[in-house]
Amino acid sequence: SRLSWLENSGVGFSLDYPTISLHAVSRDLSAFPREHLYVMVNAKFEEETKETPMAEGEEEDDSDDDVEPIAEFRFVPNDKSALEAMFSAMCECQALHPDPDDDDSDNDYEGDEYDVEARELEQGDIPSFYTYEEGLSHLTAEGQATLERLEGMLAQSVSTQYNMAGVRTEDSIREFEDGMEVDVAPVVAGQFEDAEVDH
Amino acid sequence: SVKERTIAENSLVILLQGLRGRVTTVELRDESAAAGLVTSVDAFMNVRLAEVTLTDRRGAVSHLDELFVTGRNVRYVHIPDDVDIRATIEEQLRAIHRVRFFGGRDKGRREFPQAK
Repeated sequence: SRLSWLENSGVGFSLDYPTISLHAVSRDLSAFPREHLYVMVNAKFEEETKETPMAEGEEEDDSDDDVEPIAEFRFVPNDKSALEAMFSAMCECQALHPDPDDDDSDNDYEGDEYDVEARELEQGDIPSFYTYEEGLSHLTAEGQATLERLEGMLAQSVSTQYNMAGVRTEDSIREFEDGMEVDVAPVVAGQFEDAEVDH
Repeated sequence: SVKERTIAENSLVILLQGLRGRVTTVELRDESAAAGLVTSVDAFMNVRLAEVTLTDRRGAVSHLDELFVTGRNVRYVHIPDDVDIRATIEEQLRAIHRVRFFGGRDKGRREFPQAK
């Protein structure tokens, strides 16, 4: 959640992502003698901070009070092939920190998404679930294997407290305790009836 | 992501996303400007540019291989004169709808209905 730079000696510092205005890969050796990751930060840094030997802080010279403080950092890795990875990692992290002050875009998307189910049921052409009979006919081989496995698991679990339709009856429990294999197939019919229940 | 597609669909950021591969100038909040090739623009208006000439507000120029500007710091994005704005937006919307309804209307990601 923060960008951290650590020297081998363990000395280092951190920057908060929201304060970072931009970052870049600079390979222009005429501008700076080493290839580096340039980071511009919206904050002030005291010059006497010893933890930032690689930093170049630049104070705002203008007397214009509206201009925000800017600090520029150049991160020079010993291995310059790391620059791409550093740059990309920062891009991803920045994307994870969208501007909290930006209030025009995200407002209504929640409402739209949750309308999907209602709209689908109303339209009737895009089922979000299948009743048991319909579902069977849409099963792929993988789905069939999963179904069998799950049914096996259900058959295994002994529950005398309640009567889930098609899974357990008094009779079948007795059979199980006798050590006989419970044939799951006959109890499958109607097993998914509860899927039709409105929640 | 779903959220990003929703945001893009409902704002002009979708136009900026259509500038991918074009060379343009992005002016920043602090009055510096970055000119380069648009690699990508996300729904938060974060802009990634390649082969960039960054002119800071004092006029100093630097060349950067790649630059990422947070959306918050973008003030203007220049739209090249030869870009057909309406066509670009329509094409971006079609691309979003292709993802959303991949494989036909009753398959693919069901995010939300086509029309209201």
